[in-house]
Amino acid sequence: MTEVSEQQALLDDGVAKLELALKRRYGEAARVENVTIATLGASNRTLLFDLVEPGGRRRLVLRQETVKSEVSPFISPHDQFEILKVVYRHGVLVPEPIFELEPEDDLDVGYVMACVEGETLPKTLLNAPEFAVARQRFAAQTGEIFAKLHAIDPGEVAFLEKVVDSVDPLAAQISRYDAYCEYHPGLDVGIRWLENNRPKDKPRVFVHGDYRNGNVILGPDGIEAVLDWECAHLGSAMEDFGWVCLRAWRFGHIDQPVGGFGPRDEFYQAYTSNGGQAIDEEEIRWWEIFGSLRWAVLNMMQADGHISGVRRSLPFACCGRNTSMIEYDMLMTIKGHFT
Amino acid sequence: MGAVGLSQDKPDIKEILVTVKELLESIANKSKGGERYDALCGAFLLGVADRELDFGERQDESQNGELQQLLGREGSLRDLYQQFCQQVRGGDLDEQWPAAFDFAFKQVIDKVSVTNPHYLAAMHRSD
Repeated sequence: MTEVSEQQALLDDGVAKLELALKRRYGEAARVENVTIATLGASNRTLLFDLVEPGGRRRLVLRQETVKSEVSPFISPHDQFEILKVVYRHGVLVPEPIFELEPEDDLDVGYVMACVEGETLPKTLLNAPEFAVARQRFAAQTGEIFAKLHAIDPGEVAFLEKVVDSVDPLAAQISRYDAYCEYHPGLDVGIRWLENNRPKDKPRVFVHGDYRNGNVILGPDGIEAVLDWECAHLGSAMEDFGWVCLRAWRFGHIDQPVGGFGPRDEFYQAYTSNGGQAIDEEEIRWWEIFGSLRWAVLNMMQADGHISGVRRSLPFACCGRNTSMIEYDMLMTIKGHFT
Repeated sequence: MGAVGLSQDKPDIKEILVTVKELLESIANKSKGGERYDALCGAFLLGVADRELDFGERQDESQNGELQQLLGREGSLRDLYQQFCQQVRGGDLDEQWPAAFDFAFKQVIDKVSVTNPHYLAAMHRSD
């Protein structure tokens, strides 16, 4: 059997099982139509489909786990689904959670959520004329979203206490880096700098952990939904600020620190005027340098997936070499050349 | 470039890399979606291999010399990297921090000049 027909057979089998899972929940008349595979993500496989019932049709998304490793930096699909329920209840812009897969579905682990129309491709969002208004609003909207998210009582997501990133995010990254048995002088110099300049402990809040250009759905008028909650944990509010401003997420628009879309002052002002805590710019800089370490290690993970044969892919092979550019960003930021 | 495959007939290894890179670029220009992206990634990786043939050996030698001086011992580059990383992380090089930082920075600039030289800021470009 060719690789393509094997994949098709796997897909057909998955769709048949998905239809049974839907019948179990919505009755015998439920059907699956218009299945498309979204791009294979770093940690999840995503399938779009219509749930067709006698009363109507609804576009939904199935997310299944793809990375299963002891050093996986991602929380379980079960915890992701629990988080979606919490943030949806609090009015954070996310796709509506629909149901979680169960063992009798025979579809591995994952969940189904509503499909939100819009665009996530960073370069399209940064350049296409139809997103001009959305681009202008991104920094302030992100400030509002962070204020709402960080205000959620961490007790509502107490299960995130056990995530290693909630305990000591720097130690968590070092442990993942060490798992690949590679030696990167740039990363270790960065790690030493981070250790010697750790910010003071603050009360921890519920952080998204991967909020960036690429993980947010935008429509022409602005943000429609925040996706990819698999790195959520408890930590400093400033961590989310550092990550969204990481140079890698500006996609060449380096003079617009907030995801390549907008300036820091609008972002910070929207956060504080919506009830967010005081901004600590020096700490955000620390989290940006930390973010480079984290992004470099994630690239090592992708390259390892390719080299080990678990997920052969040319883009993942490139990730291994991309690490050098992320290390460059990190050291240039420490030196004060990059802001 | 070092003495790579001098016993072989033409095309030499660099010509082979350029030829296949041109093929991948032409495939990328005629393709869309995943196929285009894969072809661009393949062309990028062949460019990396080409530059590594040009600079890799010289960079390795120069870094080996600097690390021997910094750490006061000999070894393969991988062993010296390991020593350097462990000592930096453990704080053993804190008293020589500027020299340790400069070495790491140089090593990173060497890697970027092979991976994607256009990424370097003007102050670090050799062209």
